Amino acid sequence: MVDFVPGASSRLRALPGHLALGALGVLCVFPIYWLYATSLRRPDQVLSLSPIPWPLSLGNYAEAIQLVDIPQLLINTTLVALLTALGQLLTGLLAAYAFAGWNFPLKRLCYLLFVGTWLVPFQVTMLPNYVLLLQLGLLNTLGGVVVPNLCSALGVILLRQHLDGFPKELLEAAKMDGRSSWRTLWTVVVPNLRAPLAALAILLFVTAWNEYFWPAMVLQRSNDVLQLGLRSFMISEGGQGTYWGPLMAVAGLACLPIFALYLVLRRHIVNAFVRSGLK
Amino acid sequence: MFVEIPAPVVVVPSRVARPALARRLLRGAPPYLYLLPALALLVIWTYRPLVQTAQLSFFSWNLLPTQPATPVGLDNYVRLFQLPAVGQSALRTLEVIGGLIPFTLLVPVLVGLLGQRVRGRARAVYQALVFAPLLVAPVASATVWEWLLEPSGGAVNRVLGTHVNWLHDITWAQPAIILVTGWHLIGFAVLVVSAGLSNINSDYTEAAMIDGASRGQITRWITLPLLSPTLVFLALMTALLSAQWTFPLIDTITQGGPSGATTNVYYLLWDYSFHTFDAGLGTAAGMVLFVVFGIVAAGLVLLSEKLSVHDD
Repeated sequence: MVDFVPGASSRLRALPGHLALGALGVLCVFPIYWLYATSLRRPDQVLSLSPIPWPLSLGNYAEAIQLVDIPQLLINTTLVALLTALGQLLTGLLAAYAFAGWNFPLKRLCYLLFVGTWLVPFQVTMLPNYVLLLQLGLLNTLGGVVVPNLCSALGVILLRQHLDGFPKELLEAAKMDGRSSWRTLWTVVVPNLRAPLAALAILLFVTAWNEYFWPAMVLQRSNDVLQLGLRSFMISEGGQGTYWGPLMAVAGLACLPIFALYLVLRRHIVNAFVRSGLK
Repeated sequence: MFVEIPAPVVVVPSRVARPALARRLLRGAPPYLYLLPALALLVIWTYRPLVQTAQLSFFSWNLLPTQPATPVGLDNYVRLFQLPAVGQSALRTLEVIGGLIPFTLLVPVLVGLLGQRVRGRARAVYQALVFAPLLVAPVASATVWEWLLEPSGGAVNRVLGTHVNWLHDITWAQPAIILVTGWHLIGFAVLVVSAGLSNINSDYTEAAMIDGASRGQITRWITLPLLSPTLVFLALMTALLSAQWTFPLIDTITQGGPSGATTNVYYLLWDYSFHTFDAGLGTAAGMVLFVVFGIVAAGLVLLSEKLSVHDD
């Protein structure tokens, strides 16, 4: 059979795969490339269709920084994403530890409560949450963006899967040593769970960074995070045609930290997303 | 050899029953304490508002704290089902889901099957490329696509030599929104499918090959059935998440227009609640959405249990 002949023929058989994946890859990346290409053109050449922006220029970035307070937006977004991710990681770790370490009445029901949140779209609960934020005085504050997002069902579910595979002997041994469950968590479980915790942390950070719905609702009038700053810039200047350069510069800056993270940690990010399903 | 002997509970004299009970409660407490922060947050921010949404859907209220809400019975639901916009937006939601199926199922399966023989460094490079759109913030993708599809200066029109206003034309706005959302999701779907394919034990394929099965037969009768759990997962994801994924695009680019051409149920909900401040209508629509969601999810889970051929 042809299939078992190694070498040239197997390479030939992979050709359709290379073509399909290559074409798809180019289509996927082209808009991102165009975003950065436009942003790096000289302001008077923004309309150019040349595939490579030349001469390179930071003029659009200079203009964008004058129009939008980018450093402040970057600080705010980083703060929100970091606090959200850390909070979700901590609450998720504690809950997953409870599920993996003990058998207790109502365990199944408690777990279902986490899974069930997938069926409640954000738009269904937004009105009462809006009212509660108003009553707590958190509307139009960064705190209002973070606090309601301190628990992620995804984090609990993923960490539980990892913890269920955790060697029970280690937990038993720690118990024999007379360690409290709290100390066992931090001295035995967490050090052994470093890889999945890191992957989850990145995933949660990226999600929080790109979050749009919740900040749009909480920060209705102030545009204190990158996504909203970009939106208001887009709505106020976008339609007028001359601002495409600076607009692409702001959009590029809004994605840059995530792309930098992606380039460094590519494998972990892909694995974390694919293993978790999306969200 | 060793026989597990139950702990000698009976020896506790009845005199100290109370402290023992307290101690037992205390010993049972740790899992609940560890669960407490996460569960409390879920109850406060998901389940409490869900119940309140259900309650509010029977009231008329304009969101002002000073205005009392007045009970109106089923009025909101009656109004909801009489509004032509609701039926249309439901239809558009189905359109979005249907329009995304090629991006989340058909093309990924095709590319996944074709790409099975690509290995090594090339594969890693392709993966990196197709995954990138998922990391683009929705608003940034709205910005770059608005630029690409711009009527006069945008790359698409200039390359095609056309002058179509893709994002603000009644015919083209909805397909354009679907296309951009599809661009976001396709790489992820490709990765999920290829992960699913690599989990299939190659023994089956080899056995079938020895039995003289053709490539097409193997794909149809072995690979696809074994892949079906992955496919159902992707279908579930498309149904439950895709309309939500279009929201930032619609909110930043079209605001539901032109003349409602891109208003799906999610945007309609947002519109009722925060533009017309009709809390009753907004929450009633929310409850209907929640129920429909539950039915769709349950249906797909049942389907997956029926369809799945588990590789034991």
